[in-house]
Amino acid sequence: MQTRQPGVAARLILGLAAAAGLALAANFGAAAQDKVVRVWHTETNPASVKAVAEIVARFEKAHPGIKIEAAALAWDDLEGKIQAALAAGAPPELSHGQPITCAALRQQGLLLPLDDVVQAIGENNLWDQIKQVCRADGHYYGLVHAAGTALLIHRSDLAKKLGLKAPRTWDDLVANAKALTMDTNGDGKPDIYGLTIPGDNLFINIIVGELIAANGGQLFDSSNRPQFTDKRMIELLQFWKRLTPYMPPGWEGHSYLDTFINMYGQKAAMMFQGYGRGASLIEQYAPKEMQNTDHFNVWTRPTGPSGSKPVVQVDEEPWMLFKGSKNPEAAKEFLKFFYKDENYIEYIKSVPIHFFPITKSLRQSDQYKQIPMVKRWSGWLEVQEHALANDLARPTLVVKYEDLHDKPYLMQVLGSGIIRDMVLEATAEGVSPEDAAAKAQKRAEALIKKAGYAKW
Amino acid sequence: MVELGRERAGTGGAGRRPSAARRTDRMSAQPKLRSLFRTQAKTMRLSQGAVGILLLLPALALLAGLTLYPMLYGIWLSLHHKHSFFPQQSWAGLENYWFLLDDAEFRESVWRGVVYSVSTIVLQIVLGVAAALALNQSFPGRSLVRGIVLFPYMIPTVVAVILWKWLLNNQFGLINYGLVALGLIDAPINWMGRAYIMASLILISVWQFFPFVLLAVLARLQTIPNELYEAARVDGAGAFSRFLHITLPQLASVLFIVLLLRTIWMFTKFDTVWLMTQGGGAEKYIRTLPVYAYLRTFHYYEAGTGAAASVVMFLLLVVFAAAYFAIFRREERL
Repeated sequence: MQTRQPGVAARLILGLAAAAGLALAANFGAAAQDKVVRVWHTETNPASVKAVAEIVARFEKAHPGIKIEAAALAWDDLEGKIQAALAAGAPPELSHGQPITCAALRQQGLLLPLDDVVQAIGENNLWDQIKQVCRADGHYYGLVHAAGTALLIHRSDLAKKLGLKAPRTWDDLVANAKALTMDTNGDGKPDIYGLTIPGDNLFINIIVGELIAANGGQLFDSSNRPQFTDKRMIELLQFWKRLTPYMPPGWEGHSYLDTFINMYGQKAAMMFQGYGRGASLIEQYAPKEMQNTDHFNVWTRPTGPSGSKPVVQVDEEPWMLFKGSKNPEAAKEFLKFFYKDENYIEYIKSVPIHFFPITKSLRQSDQYKQIPMVKRWSGWLEVQEHALANDLARPTLVVKYEDLHDKPYLMQVLGSGIIRDMVLEATAEGVSPEDAAAKAQKRAEALIKKAGYAKW
Repeated sequence: MVELGRERAGTGGAGRRPSAARRTDRMSAQPKLRSLFRTQAKTMRLSQGAVGILLLLPALALLAGLTLYPMLYGIWLSLHHKHSFFPQQSWAGLENYWFLLDDAEFRESVWRGVVYSVSTIVLQIVLGVAAALALNQSFPGRSLVRGIVLFPYMIPTVVAVILWKWLLNNQFGLINYGLVALGLIDAPINWMGRAYIMASLILISVWQFFPFVLLAVLARLQTIPNELYEAARVDGAGAFSRFLHITLPQLASVLFIVLLLRTIWMFTKFDTVWLMTQGGGAEKYIRTLPVYAYLRTFHYYEAGTGAAASVVMFLLLVVFAAAYFAIFRREERL
């Protein structure tokens, strides 16, 4: 028996090698037949996934020889996956990303322009704000899949009962939050809190970016030096601190979705960082008689004491086309197809109030206006359109559009949690706003220096 | 080889009565056969050696590819400035390590890691040993209870954490509801907020991992000879005395390994800690060393610093293991 072992082993190894060879050959055979376009997006809700799948199916039918491999990924997974793909030299053709990520990748020469796609859509067909995102040297390196500005959602029934109006200043907002904090059962403890804010790193960064812009300040100056100890940032931290008595205890542990739960679960009367997605959640989870704008409506945002206009964040992840991907031309064809009104509306309809169309043609079409949710929540869309059309909307941490190109370290600042830590120290840990800001300033300076962008 | 087989078959024949002619043939063939055997034996040794190497190769390749290469790459990365997204990198020497020494966030994460590890390990061992002692007794339904207590260890971490997050939710969670209903607290506690999140994390981790201790200890308890207890009883030893002088020394070898493994696993625990907040606001209050390394790599985009933090974590564990073996060598030989 022993004498036969080498033969068996050799045959086994040969067999395995042959099987692996066949599998590889089959794989290469398939690759030779189809141009595969890998598409990574962050809209993981089932309706959006289904809409993308249907658009992909139609595209593949109309474009034999191109295969779209679409994958819906959570934000945390996406960035890690992009990093791994770039490190391996095998990026996908298309992926969503934050505008600041897009700008940083563009600066590194890792992206290809999407000018063809923009031309196919029609440059004048895009909102001006959309054209600012990840555009450099006259080229579009990112094209937003849909826009959705932040909204100050409030319980309109309670506000009406108390005679409250849209807050114009930060003081007004504090006053509204105080008025809306209510003890409904008379036990001396609040049953409804005036305001809910998420404690997530991303959302705290978003809010600070908005508030500092609305207070006439900036996060970094032209030498890239952080401006966290500036008077306008201190005012921002003081404002946040003044709001905390009217927020649910332990708000710092609340996620973005928790704040929606607080809203439709009637534990909070205002949601500072609401989005159009809230309308879908209200229709899904709030009591039936409350699923309308008589109970949940939106206000425009207030302006800070040192600012001149309100600014809101716009949730707008651009599609990015990666240099070094295998089939960029096929990917462009897919995007052109995606943005055609008849296809794009399917995607927009999957979260109708949150996905504000980037094309004016779709926004103004009867087909869009007849979407039942669009009819029911039209006021929410008007507030978003007002922000987009009047230069009041900015991507995360962007105060001026030049920041996208001048400050490629913003993605690191966002990821570092420095801003979040500053806010939590000043509002939840009892540290004075000045001390929290000074600590954050020191950390941010170290980060910018380490990244090699310090020019002061 | 087939020929040799035939020779063997021909020369075997235990049940046959060989003829004289055959015997003569066989005797004349013996030197030839011996020579053939020698050559064949050499061939066999070589073949077996080659086969051995061939069989070892996949395992060695796996070890090299999945353990050695990542470890060496991690060390190499820790000596570079490397952005996680961008392809460029530059030599940093020990700069990343000096940075960590100076970084308050890093020191805090080491401290939090120690607090988390020590608390969870102590509680896991106390609970695991107590549960094992209880489940070593005879009572109706013991098999069922033994199966049920393994449940936390069997379910995926993500399920366990989501489950607990719902139970602990301060607005709608069952635990707060129960505590308020029983009059133990006036208002719901925010278990996921700054003040309680570390306690919540410890609670979840102990719940999830104590069955490992239970399993190991219960297995050992079942092998302790009953005669030892009977002799102790005859000598008048009480329950506590029997536990102290018989059970505990018998468990020492198991606890030695359990303590070592659980320390390594809890100090490097990432999934449970990360899933608690996934970067949420209270995350900074449970940011242990593995989470810090992850954040440095994937959120700060400083792959070099993240790798340096991982190398430090590895070195801390090596130092701990060396000290542990040095101090408890005697117990280890039990």
